[in-house]
Amino acid sequence: MPMNSKPKVLVIIPAFNEEGSIANVIRRIQAVTRHIEIDLDTLVVNDGSHDNTVEAARQAGATAVIDLPFNLGIGGAMQTGYLYAYKNHYDIALQIDADGQHNPTDIPTVLEPLLCGEVNFSIGSRYVEKTAYHASPMRRVGMIVFSKLIHLVTKQQVKDPTSGFRAADKRVIEMFAEQYPVDYPEVEVLVHMSRRGLTFREVPVEMSARAAGNSSITPIKSAYYMVKVGLAVLISATR
Amino acid sequence: MHELNVIYIFSIVFSLTFVLFVLQMVRKRKLREQYSIMWILLAVVIVVVSLKSEWLDALADAVGIYYPPSLLFLIALLFCLAYLLHLTIVLSKLSDRVVKLTQELAIYQQQERDAGEQQPPQTEEERR
Repeated sequence: MPMNSKPKVLVIIPAFNEEGSIANVIRRIQAVTRHIEIDLDTLVVNDGSHDNTVEAARQAGATAVIDLPFNLGIGGAMQTGYLYAYKNHYDIALQIDADGQHNPTDIPTVLEPLLCGEVNFSIGSRYVEKTAYHASPMRRVGMIVFSKLIHLVTKQQVKDPTSGFRAADKRVIEMFAEQYPVDYPEVEVLVHMSRRGLTFREVPVEMSARAAGNSSITPIKSAYYMVKVGLAVLISATR
Repeated sequence: MHELNVIYIFSIVFSLTFVLFVLQMVRKRKLREQYSIMWILLAVVIVVVSLKSEWLDALADAVGIYYPPSLLFLIALLFCLAYLLHLTIVLSKLSDRVVKLTQELAIYQQQERDAGEQQPPQTEEERR
């Protein structure tokens, strides 16, 4: 069902020590709002940062800043955003990284499938069309493995299942508010959705290298990532 | 058979000390009664096996274990495994609750802050 009235859209930006890039991300999102019909509210979820992420976000004019008292991990922080979206009756929640690797001008592209009411969830993908993005070999292998795993379990083709640039409709917001994986949630939630009969689609977006700060992924974590996500996906498929 | 080995005396002394320590922890409210029951039961089992070592011998004989103490090790190991599993389940549940509470608290604080920011201008208007 297409949305007739103006939908309420929340942009969730989870941030851990991103004082260097957060303000810029917020301003670029605000700039996008001026070009499209839809208002985008921005929510920064500070995941127990040790720097001035909160102040930077407030000064940049984020609609709301949630300051978690300690680090919950990406899943816990992201779910806080979805819980907020659910409590405040948003129609769509869009998640975007605080490090600047996602381009806010792609936001309308990611929102499009939801605005048409085509699917419940949309994923901004690096690989649907050829883009300038170059992932590390490790990440590439991970994405291919997860892609195959997702296909095996959900029978759906997702080329970039680890992408964190995605948007959810009301039904998915409600589901995420109730249940969301604690760590490395991106791949796992696709299976959760598929099991509940919720649909998703990929749209092509540009992605760049991080603007500032450091990625949280180290080699040991990558290994844990693969095992944990693999196990979680397989177990989800049996629920 | 009724001659007590040093190791059995040691187990009895150890078990009694262990029970006293557990009870003391409960008294100080550092350990919940529900968890203390498990540990006290364990100590009782050790004492019984130490006093009535022929029971252990008979049991070992029945299941075909030639060296009775190894049956004791087996039971102890299985008990520890089961209890550790139980603890990690409890821990998972606790972690989920902590996350949920933290999220609710942070959202609540954000709303309070928002309300606080909107409040002052209104009260100024009321004064006029």
